[in-house]
Amino acid sequence: MSAAFILWGKHMSKLKVHSEEMFGMLIQPVLWVILFGLGMKGLVGMGAPGGDEYYIDFILPGIVALTALGGAIGGGVIWLNERTSGVVKEYLIAPIPRLSILMGNAMSIVTKSTIQAILIFIVGILLGVQIELNPLGWLGGLVLVTGFGIGFAGIALAVASKVDDPGGYHMLIFMLNLPLLFMSNALYPLESLPRWMEIGAQINPTSYAVDGIRAMVLEDGATLAGGETLSLWLCFVVVAVFAILGMGLAYSVFRRVTK
Amino acid sequence: MNKANNSELAIETRGLVKRFAEDIVAVDRVDLSVPTNTVYALLGPNGAGKTTTISILTTLIKSTNGSAKTAGFDVVTQADEVRRRIGVTFQEMVLDEELTGRQVLDYHGRLYGQSKVQRKAKIAELLALVELEEAADRRCSTYSGGMKRRLELARGLMTNPEVLFLDEPTLGLDPQNRASIWAYIRDLKEKQGLTLLLTTHYMEEAEEMADTVGIIDHGKIVAEGTPRDLIDQMGADTIRVTGSDGETSFTEKLRSLEFVQTVHTGDGVIQIGVDSGNHRLAEVVTLANENSYTISDISVTKPSLGDVFLKYTGRELRDK
Repeated sequence: MSAAFILWGKHMSKLKVHSEEMFGMLIQPVLWVILFGLGMKGLVGMGAPGGDEYYIDFILPGIVALTALGGAIGGGVIWLNERTSGVVKEYLIAPIPRLSILMGNAMSIVTKSTIQAILIFIVGILLGVQIELNPLGWLGGLVLVTGFGIGFAGIALAVASKVDDPGGYHMLIFMLNLPLLFMSNALYPLESLPRWMEIGAQINPTSYAVDGIRAMVLEDGATLAGGETLSLWLCFVVVAVFAILGMGLAYSVFRRVTK
Repeated sequence: MNKANNSELAIETRGLVKRFAEDIVAVDRVDLSVPTNTVYALLGPNGAGKTTTISILTTLIKSTNGSAKTAGFDVVTQADEVRRRIGVTFQEMVLDEELTGRQVLDYHGRLYGQSKVQRKAKIAELLALVELEEAADRRCSTYSGGMKRRLELARGLMTNPEVLFLDEPTLGLDPQNRASIWAYIRDLKEKQGLTLLLTTHYMEEAEEMADTVGIIDHGKIVAEGTPRDLIDQMGADTIRVTGSDGETSFTEKLRSLEFVQTVHTGDGVIQIGVDSGNHRLAEVVTLANENSYTISDISVTKPSLGDVFLKYTGRELRDK
């Protein structure tokens, strides 16, 4: 497995080169928090369980999940580039397990997406979002964000293993991205959704990651989330299953393309 | 590093076949035997199966049929053993351009489990060889094509391979670089028992470097031998004569001579295939004088590997 760490280190070292990119990718979620949070505060916020005062608090976990998702997608592009530029050949003829190539990529993606998610959380706090002073809750939130990131890293790696151009990659990812965000409890409470969307939201892992983070990390998280909260253990189980399925998908596609 | 085993052959394939679709046969029953510590040049037109063969031998893809051993190990069942013992430069540039030259070599060494000390020493040695010391800490994206190629070559040599595969290694390099790289590889071959399989478009390189040349076309090895033998098979030398007057009677007389094998005329040039150019030159000149043919230019040319290639594949290796 040491080869996975070498590849991880290689990708992480590029962060120095790509720091602009990484921060650039943060602009979008920051704008979500500020513009959507403030803009929709009056309109949507009134219906939010905590009232419009706390609308930014309400959506922050959702934006954090969105950030992790965006990070995972960005990471998939790196693997896509390595494949299309042929750099992957260097790995394939090296005396390292095939799986370590996938693992190295997944690890660097998840590391980056988690760092980004944490940074967004800090932005939220700076904007006045109140958090629970409970390290155990933070840890739980971190586990959920990471698990969510792992699941999406898997999907991103699977797609990036299959398609051969960035255009196709972004198309496929885009089709996943929006429904996963909007058909969830990230921006509005579950009960305010039409029935069919509520069902969609209930099979959407984003809802579980978001709800869990909300409950564990934010002050009065349960109140914020409103009546229909998902139970915490279920959040962890769903996110864990999602992470495993995502990676499983990546592995099966990856194995086929590398043979 | 342990020597593979006592096998005398660094590369050995038996009935190697690679089919990409039902009807596309990229490699067609290829048998190769490359002895340890020799240089084998695989020559062929584009699409002849060179790169596919190298891909199989370097464990990158699996053959459809037949078997292949590299460095004494089966490329499928003992792929890791093979991978530990080979160095490869691919036909296309395969470089992580966001890294510096030094990083490229360093990460490569790490993947092969080299220690920090080993890597540092090897990197210094190789950077000096490929003359990239000054550019070593710049990102590869700033390198010229030739610099990238040299870096890739250094990467292929990074792990002290027993068998080195070079797919068009000197494409895009200037003559000076080519010469220094070949000199180094020749040195490695002599001192470390390196075996080399290369493909190249430069006939002179193949002629000069290779112990054995294999000409591949449509996935099949159509000719194989030492460059000398292959060229000698072509038989005669050619005397090229340019001149005026009495051409008809001159060529008629030429055709009747016993040592003349072929006579071709065209564009004012008479090409005379003879058994030995140097010996027959005087006789040809005498005959020309007797037939009042005025010679303005005459030369003797030896057939080259390029002519051999042309004979077997019906194609020039590269456009001049």
